Amino acid sequence: MAASSLLPKSISPFPKTPTQKSAVTHFPASFFSAPQPPHLHPFSTQKPTTLIPNAKENRWLDPFNDGEDPEMEYGSLFADGKQEEDPTLPNNPDNPYGFLKFPAGFSVEVASLGSKLRGDVRRCCCLISGGVYENLLFFPVIQLIKDRYPGVQVDVVTTGRGKQCYELNKNVRWADVYDPDQDFPDPAEYTDMLGIIRNRYYEMILSTKLAGLGHAAFLFMSTARDRVSYIYPNVNAAGAGLLLSETFTADTMNLSDGGYHMYHQMIDWLARPGRNVPRQPVPPLKVSIPRKVKEVVETKYKNAGAEKGKYIVIHGIQCDSKASMQSKGDPDSLLPIQVWAEIAEAVTYRGVRPIFVIPHEKIREDVEEEVGWDASIVFITTPGQLAALINDSIGVIATNTAAIQLANAREKPSIALFCSAEKGKVFVPNPGEKQCTIVSSATGKLIDIDVEAVKTAVQIFQMPLAFV
Amino acid sequence: MAEAVMSFAVVKPHIHNPLPTTKSYFNATSKSLRQCSSIGFKKGWHQIESSKSRRGSLSKVNALPDWPLMAIVVEHVQGQRDIILHKSVWHLNNDEIKNVYTLYIMFTVWGCCFFGATKDPYYDSEQYRKDGGDGTGHWVYEKQEDMEESARAELWREELIEEIEQKVGGLRELEEAGKKEKIVK
Repeated sequence: MAASSLLPKSISPFPKTPTQKSAVTHFPASFFSAPQPPHLHPFSTQKPTTLIPNAKENRWLDPFNDGEDPEMEYGSLFADGKQEEDPTLPNNPDNPYGFLKFPAGFSVEVASLGSKLRGDVRRCCCLISGGVYENLLFFPVIQLIKDRYPGVQVDVVTTGRGKQCYELNKNVRWADVYDPDQDFPDPAEYTDMLGIIRNRYYEMILSTKLAGLGHAAFLFMSTARDRVSYIYPNVNAAGAGLLLSETFTADTMNLSDGGYHMYHQMIDWLARPGRNVPRQPVPPLKVSIPRKVKEVVETKYKNAGAEKGKYIVIHGIQCDSKASMQSKGDPDSLLPIQVWAEIAEAVTYRGVRPIFVIPHEKIREDVEEEVGWDASIVFITTPGQLAALINDSIGVIATNTAAIQLANAREKPSIALFCSAEKGKVFVPNPGEKQCTIVSSATGKLIDIDVEAVKTAVQIFQMPLAFV
Repeated sequence: MAEAVMSFAVVKPHIHNPLPTTKSYFNATSKSLRQCSSIGFKKGWHQIESSKSRRGSLSKVNALPDWPLMAIVVEHVQGQRDIILHKSVWHLNNDEIKNVYTLYIMFTVWGCCFFGATKDPYYDSEQYRKDGGDGTGHWVYEKQEDMEESARAELWREELIEEIEQKVGGLRELEEAGKKEKIVK
């Protein structure tokens, strides 16, 4: 934005999409065009937006890309607003000619022009790296795509662990397993997945893996029209931009460090305003729980000796299992069972049962030893079942695992134990709205957390008890 | 009593014998070879034809030239016909040895592939051999993705119905409130 500030009292001839662009790439575009005073502009009152939203203003990529034509008049039938939900042609049942189903005068030849000008997206693929936590935080993005492009079919390609999230998401059509984080993928898997993606003819493919040339080539070979990806913030990103149509430079090497708003650049770009389309509001994280999963989980916690609405979920017991649902951005987020046993004592005397969620059966014995033989233990590895368990509970006490996000999504009161206050702010940005109490360790290590503080924080579960 | 008299005759094939027995013979052959080559180089095809006939007079011609005969054993039994044994040695040169081993390896590999494939536990298993048929015409049914997809679609429908019910419920409440107001009035 430095260059346009040099030209005061004139509107920028190349209006920017809200994505952050560096001043260096921005400079030559406005350098080649002479600034005009505003009264010479015929459409100076109308705020123009870019024609091709992803067109990079890099003179080396396209020397003839002079950006938006300022004299172009939009506002026609084809270029404005969002896409229609149903792309089928208008039907005229009274037409005497059976093969012409559309009404007279309807020009089929230019019907698809809108999809070109507007940049319609009918099929979208999201390639998501990371585990359960990262995929859960991607839910708002999927909802955003659904809202921005009505009638879009969203597919997901992610790791095996991450895929389990998508039984909680109603907006996704297919979910396929492919680990984008593997540096040297099995050639058979690579080509197989490439073939699957190509066969589906996506219009947009989004990737949250930090792309270098290799991953960019994978996205390029998918033949999607818009290839959108995060790229490395360092030299490893060299060459990736040539194969992608939109790139976001990650803040750090680990995207998960961004916490709840880890995909903020991608969200910014997806929600950008278009012609006659206002800026899309970012939806909150929402999960929906299938009835079957609810039934399965109900039998589980009834077997463990708990009743619906009369237990508190405890999640985040230390274990080397892969199912602990931590974020990649917060490795220090599990507490040993001894600490949990202390915390659970504070809960039990209120007439509420704590339910210990174990990610692996081998911890069952440890929990029984520490807490007692009558402890309620539920073995849950999938986020779907965890969400159903949380849905039927009073509240959640958990470290920084997916349980906290699920509790916030289902609007259950929760106590989140964080290793530091900064991590707490990053992963739960507005705890007040979500009935979430953050207890953070003073030393920066989760093990040193103040158990007394947690015990006093348990007061927030009093409210629903009064109604029971 | 059969008295067997064995006579032994060593045949010296001129061309194939690597070690000529006499010095004079060696000289003769080398000389003739030299003659042949010199003639061949100098005079051309017709000369080679003529020199061939001369060489034929020099050496004995075998019916099987690459089958070097080692010995002929004549077993002489009185009152019977002689039993004549032709003893020969059959050597393979490097190329032929290579060919034989190549064929042997190719056959072994083919055999491993073929007979290995006939014993595949997967193809013999129930998973592959069972009576199938869900109308797709495939032997291997990957239904997991479809099931998940339909489950999500079902979830979407449920949520939609819930939303509609909530809206309708809200509208009804409003209507009822309106009616009550009217009644009160």
